[in-house]
Amino acid sequence: MRNVRLIVLMVGLFALLGAGLASAQTTTIQLAGWSSSDAENAALEAMVAAFEEANPDIDVELIFAPEYETFMQTGFASGDYPNVFYVDSFRLQDWASAGVLEPYGDQITNPDDLYASLRDIFTYDGQLYCAPKDFSTLALVYNTDLFEAAGVAVPTNWEELRAAAEALTTEDVAGLTTGIELPRFLPFLYEAGGSILSEDGTEVVLDSDATITAVDYFVSLYTDGVAKSPADLGAGWAGEAFGQGKAAMTIEGNWIIQYLIDQFPDTNWAVSELPVGSEGPATMAFTVCYGVAAAANNDNLEASVRLADFLTGPEGAMMVGESGFGPMPARASAAETWLSSRGEEFAPFVAGGDYSYAWSFPPGFGTFIDTFNNGLNEAVKGNVDVQELVQDSAEAAQEALDELM
Amino acid sequence: MATATYDTIQESTPLSRALRRIVPIVGYTILIIAALTQIVPFVLTVANSFKCLPAVNEAPAALIPVAPFGVDCRTPEGSVRSASETSTAVTFNPALEGYEQVFEQNLGRWLLNSAIYSVAIMLLRIIFDALAGYALARIKFPGNRLIFTAMLGTMMIPAIVLLIPRFIILRQLGMINNYSGIIVPLMVDAFGIFLMKQFFETIPNDIEEAAQVDGANRFVMFFRVILPMATPALTALAIFSFQGMWNNFLDTLIVVGGNQELWNLPLGLSFLRGQSGEALIWNEFLAGSVITTLPMAILFFAFQRYFVEGTTYSGLAGQ
Amino acid sequence: MAEAVSHTVETAPEKLMTQRSQRIQEIIAGYAFMAPAIIILTVFLVLPMVAALFFSLTDWNGITPLFDRQGTVNTQAFEMVGLENYERLLLREGSRQEAFFTSLKNTVYFVLGVVPVQTILALVLAVIVNQRWLKGKGFFRTAFYFPSISSSVVISLIFMFLFASNGIINQGIKALFPGYQNVTWLNDATGVIHALLGGLGITRDTVGEWARTEVLSIRLWDWISGPSVTMLMIMILNTWTTIGTMMVIYLAALQNIPGQVYEAAYVDGATTGQIFRKITVPLLRPTTFFVITLGLIGTFQVFDQIYVISSGGPADTTLTIAYLVYRSGFDDSRMGLATATAMVLFVIIFVFTMIQRRIVGGEKAD
Repeated sequence: MRNVRLIVLMVGLFALLGAGLASAQTTTIQLAGWSSSDAENAALEAMVAAFEEANPDIDVELIFAPEYETFMQTGFASGDYPNVFYVDSFRLQDWASAGVLEPYGDQITNPDDLYASLRDIFTYDGQLYCAPKDFSTLALVYNTDLFEAAGVAVPTNWEELRAAAEALTTEDVAGLTTGIELPRFLPFLYEAGGSILSEDGTEVVLDSDATITAVDYFVSLYTDGVAKSPADLGAGWAGEAFGQGKAAMTIEGNWIIQYLIDQFPDTNWAVSELPVGSEGPATMAFTVCYGVAAAANNDNLEASVRLADFLTGPEGAMMVGESGFGPMPARASAAETWLSSRGEEFAPFVAGGDYSYAWSFPPGFGTFIDTFNNGLNEAVKGNVDVQELVQDSAEAAQEALDELM
Repeated sequence: MATATYDTIQESTPLSRALRRIVPIVGYTILIIAALTQIVPFVLTVANSFKCLPAVNEAPAALIPVAPFGVDCRTPEGSVRSASETSTAVTFNPALEGYEQVFEQNLGRWLLNSAIYSVAIMLLRIIFDALAGYALARIKFPGNRLIFTAMLGTMMIPAIVLLIPRFIILRQLGMINNYSGIIVPLMVDAFGIFLMKQFFETIPNDIEEAAQVDGANRFVMFFRVILPMATPALTALAIFSFQGMWNNFLDTLIVVGGNQELWNLPLGLSFLRGQSGEALIWNEFLAGSVITTLPMAILFFAFQRYFVEGTTYSGLAGQ
Repeated sequence: MAEAVSHTVETAPEKLMTQRSQRIQEIIAGYAFMAPAIIILTVFLVLPMVAALFFSLTDWNGITPLFDRQGTVNTQAFEMVGLENYERLLLREGSRQEAFFTSLKNTVYFVLGVVPVQTILALVLAVIVNQRWLKGKGFFRTAFYFPSISSSVVISLIFMFLFASNGIINQGIKALFPGYQNVTWLNDATGVIHALLGGLGITRDTVGEWARTEVLSIRLWDWISGPSVTMLMIMILNTWTTIGTMMVIYLAALQNIPGQVYEAAYVDGATTGQIFRKITVPLLRPTTFFVITLGLIGTFQVFDQIYVISSGGPADTTLTIAYLVYRSGFDDSRMGLATATAMVLFVIIFVFTMIQRRIVGGEKAD
């Protein structure tokens, strides 16, 4: 036992010594994220280089990890993890409640410029935990050639969407394709006036007429054969099926733009806001923030916050806007920059920022999502009735909520 | 004892003679079908890794490469060539599109790391698994059976659940982001010890007894007498170890995931796959599969005999 | 020579002493030989296993750091909850129990489907390859073994490619049967037993009320679903990759059976079938024990292929116990539950191994 302690001590001592020597001039902090397209990785590298130039006392080590969440979780558990790292909105509540994040919302430069809906997403327990890096929203992407050939106008509400899908469906082409999963369904739920949890998040309100209406509508598109899943069309995701011309419409986020341009330069397409439901418009916002490691596990808290604030601050947002690939800058002030470099025709994605809902759940809601997705997949095949799906999912959500209390 | 030879007892009825003619036909048919199901998928993999993406989707069964070789999958204007431009139902123009992105990455470094990890672990396991296997097979000491049972038990727990505790231990020992963090925990493995134990049990006792009379102690005996006799089993162990480490993903991820310079091929390829999001860029994935498998396949054909013999020794288990 | 002489003049007590010191030397040698293995396996396998066992008695989420930067233990990371995790998995009605028994059901279908088929096919192939009249033995051995050298991730990718809904398999079937509607092999939750019953006109709605009774949070009707189409595909994949290794193991054992044994049987007038049943199979018993043990350990822990191909879906029909461990521990932040699940799996594999040891009776007392 004593030996082990001695070894640990020695190792620690050496580490300190090493760190001490290195930090005489500069502090090294780690920035971790998952790998995206080459263009996106390069853009981040450029931003980090700009930061290092402005802060010569800080060195940033960039880590792109495969299987990012597994990688991060082993680090979290041991208390040894990067200083600054991507946090998916979906993981925010999980990681914030586990205490691995340092809330630095009060140190953000000009926070009011950040979209309010995005600030809400990264607020947990009344504290803004981190600043959003960028965001994406869902919009309706449609094949202009197929629309022209069928003489269909761009749908603006549920009835028109169904009519368009019917008119566009042929032997070889599905009118609409979306993943059969919660995030693609949720806009319909919100548009019908439904919700999973009550405003204050203490009650499950999923089992409602609005939910039934929304699920009925979504499922009937599939059971009537005017919508097909990407898998049924032989594609890995909806964007691929759409690009291949196997579907005339899809509901996807702005990450689809670069993909379609690169992979399917011959497909002609355009974007419009999601068709509106009886209770108004809705869309989903997918966003990522730069989390900062909690003080107890962060030797360079001040430098970490400085880096995160730079990347998400006015200058960082402008750089996101200028690079103009997939995601949109999280600051309203940079929206125009993004549109002018990306193309004004993509304004529907930006517009979604005003009425978007968060793709975010309390800790432990994984079983709810699984239950719902499984049910939805069975429902579109006609194996499960909608009532049963809604009830089972509501029960799973209730159980997850009970576990938290 | 039984002096009758195999041939003399084969004189039997016409029926059994007819049977003897039919049996090989049926046997060959079964074997050839089975062999085809094992080989054809790999042939398809290689062929499709050299196609343009539309050709992979439309004509996956095209197996015959025809000129022009190395076609560009895009027209000079940048639009994608359709499947019919680069393939027919049975032929295709080979293209390097799938391989290009893989080769753009730090492939050389990952290949080198894969080799370093695999060779180091192979060499260390040869020594330590053999030592332990020999002790379990031949030396009587208290706890011998208990240790063996416990070792087998360690094979029964799902590896995924050990990730976090192992990471914590490695971190306490300062072995994260370090070659040693991968090599040290894997330098001994239960399966290898099991394999060696089974092998040593087949070596006749008298050899050791003779050595003992000459006054050799266990250590001298092991290194001078036993180990040289174990070459075939050690070769098999070497190949299993090399193969296992070559394909290792999870251990490598948690130990060196944070340092791209230390990644091995599986980590690198998974990183590549992450870049393509959810899209199925088949020619690229298959190219990646070919690149990971190729070094193993070359080794396999070079040392095929030992591969097969290696599994043979493990087959003696329980006998 | 001199030493040999000196041995002969030893007195009885001295001899006892030498024997004793020899025994002590043996014990020292044994531990010395084992030392590296014991140290490494203890530190990197046994210790993590003990830690996992400990976590299974806590409500740890798997995220909250157990240590801070200085290495001080964070006592707030978890609370001891005793056997609650086990109770929720096994006894208490709810979604945890449902998930566990769904995964148990799937895993058992997987194991019962794969292990016998893999064992029997491997044996049949080995017996054929072992025939004297066969030419090209080396070729067949190589061909059967080849899929085993590739990583499971690569193999899974190849399989996904072949069985994609517009992939080569479906294109092939369509070429043969023009009216064929593409089956999405890797995304079809239909249970094969349900499909068979459906073919006979028996469905959940016609079979009677009993089918809706829930046992351990799962409807009786769903217990008897059989593996889903997707699970069946993964079972085939698994059999495909392992059969070569198993065949080679059997082949080695077959070649170890002395020719005289067969000759004697022929002299006694036994038929080929009788010889196979009465001689070959019993003599192969230890090998069968080994093959099945490896098969059980491998199939009960099936994870990689599920992770790459289906992530437990569609409709949880490929959710295996090992995958559930991953899902609760990493996706769902319930490390306590995940480790408890792993412990239950450990016990199940152990029990199955013991049962099959009884049935096959492979291990002779040594």
